[in-house]
Amino acid sequence: MATVDPVTLQVIQARLAGIVQEMQNSLFRTGYSTIIRESQDASCAILNRQGEVVAQHVVLPLHMGAFPACAAGILKSYSADEVHEGDAFITNHPYLGGSPHAPDMAVLSPIFYRGEWVGFAANLAHKSDIGGPVPGSCWSQAREIYQEGLHVPPVKYVHKYQTSKDLEAVLGCNSRTPELVVGDLRGQVGAARLGERRFQEMMERYGKETVLSSFEQLFALTEAKVRAEIASWPDGVGEGERFVDSDGIELDKPVRLHVRIEKKGDHLLFDLTGCADQTKGPANIRPTIVRAACCYLLTCLVDPALAINYGLAKTIDIKVREGSVVHPRFPAPVNTYNPTVHALVESLLEASSQITPRKKVGDGCSSRSIIIGGRSNKTGKGYVQYEIFGGGSGGRSGKDGVSGTNVNQSNAKIAPIEIIESEFSTRVRRFELIADSGGAGAFRGGLGFVREYEVLDNDARFSLRSTKHSVAPKGIDGGMDGKTGHCVFNPGKPGERVIPSRFSDHVLHPGEVFSLETPGGGGLGNPFERDPVRVLNDVRNGYVTQPKAREAYRVAIAQSDGDFVLDEAQTRQLRSNAEDRE
Amino acid sequence: MSKFRVTVDTGGTFSDFVFFNEETGEIAITKVPSTPKEPFEAVMNGVKELIDRGVAAKDISFFSHGTTVGTNALLEEKGAKTGLLVTEGFRGIYEVMEQTRGYGPATYDLFFEKPRLLALPYYTEEIPERVDFRGNALKSIDVVAAREAIKRLKKKGVQSVAVCFLFSFLNPDHELKIKELFAEEFPQARLSLSYEVLPQIREFYRLSTTVINAYIQPVMSSYLSRLESRMRELGVTTPKLYIMQSNGGVSTFKGSAEKPVATVLSGPAGGVIASMGTCERVGINDLITFDMGGTSCDVALIHQGNPVITTQGKISMRPISLPMLDIHTVSAGGGTIARIDAVGGLQVGPDSAGADPGPVSYDRGGQEITVTDANIVTGVLDPDQFLGGRMKLNKAKAERLLEEKIAKPLKLNLLEAADGVIKIINVKMEEAIKAVSSARGYDIRDFTLVAFGGGGPMHAGRMALDLGIPSVLVPLTPGVHSALGLLMSDVKHDYVRSKLVGLDDLDLNDINHLFAQLIDRAKADLQDEDFRDDEIKIEPYLDLRYAGQGYELTVPCPMPPLKPEDLKVMRQRFDTMHEQNSGHKAETEPVELVSLRLISLGLVPQAKLSPGKVTGRKVEEAKTGERKVFFGKEHGTLNTQIYTRDLLETGHQIDGPAIVEQLDTTTVIQPEQEASVDEYRNIIIREKA
Repeated sequence: MATVDPVTLQVIQARLAGIVQEMQNSLFRTGYSTIIRESQDASCAILNRQGEVVAQHVVLPLHMGAFPACAAGILKSYSADEVHEGDAFITNHPYLGGSPHAPDMAVLSPIFYRGEWVGFAANLAHKSDIGGPVPGSCWSQAREIYQEGLHVPPVKYVHKYQTSKDLEAVLGCNSRTPELVVGDLRGQVGAARLGERRFQEMMERYGKETVLSSFEQLFALTEAKVRAEIASWPDGVGEGERFVDSDGIELDKPVRLHVRIEKKGDHLLFDLTGCADQTKGPANIRPTIVRAACCYLLTCLVDPALAINYGLAKTIDIKVREGSVVHPRFPAPVNTYNPTVHALVESLLEASSQITPRKKVGDGCSSRSIIIGGRSNKTGKGYVQYEIFGGGSGGRSGKDGVSGTNVNQSNAKIAPIEIIESEFSTRVRRFELIADSGGAGAFRGGLGFVREYEVLDNDARFSLRSTKHSVAPKGIDGGMDGKTGHCVFNPGKPGERVIPSRFSDHVLHPGEVFSLETPGGGGLGNPFERDPVRVLNDVRNGYVTQPKAREAYRVAIAQSDGDFVLDEAQTRQLRSNAEDRE
Repeated sequence: MSKFRVTVDTGGTFSDFVFFNEETGEIAITKVPSTPKEPFEAVMNGVKELIDRGVAAKDISFFSHGTTVGTNALLEEKGAKTGLLVTEGFRGIYEVMEQTRGYGPATYDLFFEKPRLLALPYYTEEIPERVDFRGNALKSIDVVAAREAIKRLKKKGVQSVAVCFLFSFLNPDHELKIKELFAEEFPQARLSLSYEVLPQIREFYRLSTTVINAYIQPVMSSYLSRLESRMRELGVTTPKLYIMQSNGGVSTFKGSAEKPVATVLSGPAGGVIASMGTCERVGINDLITFDMGGTSCDVALIHQGNPVITTQGKISMRPISLPMLDIHTVSAGGGTIARIDAVGGLQVGPDSAGADPGPVSYDRGGQEITVTDANIVTGVLDPDQFLGGRMKLNKAKAERLLEEKIAKPLKLNLLEAADGVIKIINVKMEEAIKAVSSARGYDIRDFTLVAFGGGGPMHAGRMALDLGIPSVLVPLTPGVHSALGLLMSDVKHDYVRSKLVGLDDLDLNDINHLFAQLIDRAKADLQDEDFRDDEIKIEPYLDLRYAGQGYELTVPCPMPPLKPEDLKVMRQRFDTMHEQNSGHKAETEPVELVSLRLISLGLVPQAKLSPGKVTGRKVEEAKTGERKVFFGKEHGTLNTQIYTRDLLETGHQIDGPAIVEQLDTTTVIQPEQEASVDEYRNIIIREKA
């Protein structure tokens, strides 16, 4: 292929960024379900004809791995003469496509330029419900994917601009929220069509050959940039290990994630053969997700502003063992994949920090969602209330962790309480940060938060997909662990019951309450080295209590006239005593 | 004696003034150095300059001001010590914020920070009270506890307090009770109630807007009161003193002192309003404004005379959900840096060399090639005529560094490399223009590109060719466009009340009652500001969405009281607007009402600008020379005629390639284009037939 001059190359890259941004705006603006519109759990991409990502606008980095696998599924199932202008394919299949789990539905529409098939416009968006035993489709006791909702292999949803009514009817009648599923899907097709049009305009303006050659060069630029960074690190080996609370079935058995990274020259090998065997319950993840997690790591380490495309994926070599939690055999369940990915990313950060000992980060809160299925007295209709929560992020070299945030590959917005209460039959009773939940450290972990709900109107079916309720977010370099998460029904009342981090389909009656505490982040560095003035400010702001300041930080804080003051003399004494004992 | 209107737009470096003679319709402009430490000094200096020209202070009949005092207090985090009152148990709303890190690179930034809290938890008090989604008080406010909380804040020395209770937009009783209690316990404190600042659903966004208001209110009100008393000392007596707001209208000093958050994103608004006014006079209703300065470029779309409005504004990651002109900003300006990255790719932006050290050619120590340097190397800018010759630019140095840093590594010749830098920055700005136009379903071929700011007229011609925009308008005074906009703005207030209900289920009496309340308040506010009934214009709107959607569209609505058939009309308007915006509609899906809105306008008598005088001068007389300019590989280097803007008059025609120079900008007419000067002396650039 002809070489594209460096100016045109940048011009095309800027155009591509504009295209995926427009697709994303369109998707957010037209999304129906709370999960797209309020949480913004959706991503868009442009792929080449081979299904390699050329440009993406990513909200959730894991979606990066999903697109090529979905395209591969389509290319396997359809020959070129079956693909036409105006078609759109969908799939949510974790094995036959690349969806992380059934609720994530991908739409890929082939892009045609002057009658020739030149690429895909694609997007992936989370559906509030796609059927199966529980509202939200993520059953924590699922033992095979058949228990995780309706699975759609790569199939044609739109044929030459004609939407398949048959397929729409099948999808609709398998969901507890048919309008939302179909409405979101139409929005997704609309966003893909927009991407197609803009792509065609780009080819019209710069010529097909130039555009296609640019893709190869953009891949090469990204690859070179990543490899150059890797090459600058010393050769060596790093290892990381983390655990997920459980798989939802064997509740007392943490699931091990382990990675060994070998770095040689400009090459990295991610060896994941030390991970646990595949789980009975839905803690498994597919290798495409492992690749996406590695891409996430490299982007963080190399350059957060990296132009993310197939060139990045090319630098990643992974070794996985069939039958393990990161390469399960069909039809092992995968619906609660995210806690596993969080543990994997933390192992990756730990392993890479041994090779490239730059700035460090303590463990964060991981991610969780609650799903409440009920019937509203307001509308008389069924609803699925789906909310995604973060907690604290880990302490970092030179900086405290962030409180009340999503971490690592999770990045969903929190839904407004006033929207939730207006649309669903629950009432939020409490929403605040949890004092002392951030792991103590020279740089403190961020704080988790508590959400407390009351069920109104009718019986509601509650599910929780969380983690780090038994395995705490780890502190590093002498920092303390963050506080674990906690979920309890009817706290302080008859019927009080603590539930595990993966828990499905409990019926809550009107008037019943549940409280969810999310984990804080791990601390970084010795807490005795934390500046006492920062501890004082933490106490003033309610992030750390007085007893904790004394016990964990050896800082004495007194109360005087309604304010807190630092007792410097006593603090010195406490800290020197602590040194003596060490 | 003639009456004069005075407008001033305070920028980082200069404060731009427009003096308008109401009798003759003539305008005069001047630039005065800004005084960031005491911003009103520059304003006074400009007013004094007018007085020195022989205008009596009492003949100033109108004063309108665009200020960044509130914006800077926020950006530099130099606002008041601010307290916050929230519903008991709900401190987390402010601290958790949106729970995200933002998208794009922030997603991958392990060292991400949320914006600092403007009201610390230490100054946050929880008040026992609760209202439900229907507006019923589940728990009435605990007055004793509230009083104690207020006393604690007083003791801690808080100056300004924000109050945001859940569902206060449906039932403000508890927030209003707090106001009473403050009057009794702590009357010195400034108070911002979320019900008064933004009675709109989505608690965090309402809270964020209210807290910002509280944070900057003491700074802004003290600025405005000092400014007013200084003006009175000079003998200025007019009661018509206005401040630019982010919504494109002005508000009184009093209104802005109470609700300064409405001014925070007003910086680029004046330019948009000036563009609308300029275009309206020459019969253009569909336009895209393009304001390119030193570090950023602002674009906005006006369709059929109406600007697009958004309620999703943010400043340094902090949401402000008041309605404002939807202005899309990208980091692209004259100071934007071009460099080769680690693997040999040419990157232009997003960083900027700013004003200091500025571009290489400024010779102030800048070592990074900028867009301005590229424009010097291609010959577009005359190094001896920058700012009318007030500043000499070092072309040789720009050439040397561009050759060394860009051209050589890319194996391009010097001119091609310079042109490449311009091409890439143009594409970034073109994408911003597409984002506000074609991405929203508008056909870009129906629009005029209005170019202003120091860089706009330099880049607009080529961008219009790239985008397929048929014509470019360069106004007469592109460097003081924002100040000109202040002359053309009406007083504008926004009112909103959220009420989430299905369009088919709503109680029309209830809605009409709410509208009547809003209209009464809007009229009373404008009457307070001395507007007569015939100067008041009310525009009602409904925010609608398909049931379950997350974003509302603001749809113009017939004048209340609404009748049942009006709802059918609204439904159709909504479907049509949704299709325009997002490419599809769902006529069978239920539609929900989310909020009622009102815009009230206090009509300011329009400044009648005089058309340009025609002396019969020939266009050749405006020609000041000729130089070689590189117009890209397609055209190569061409001999290019140079004209002086001051000497161009109505009816003149210019063939591209050509360059028109004036004090604060340079207009480029591409080889494919020709230009004409219209009756108001705007330059209109079109593709040659």
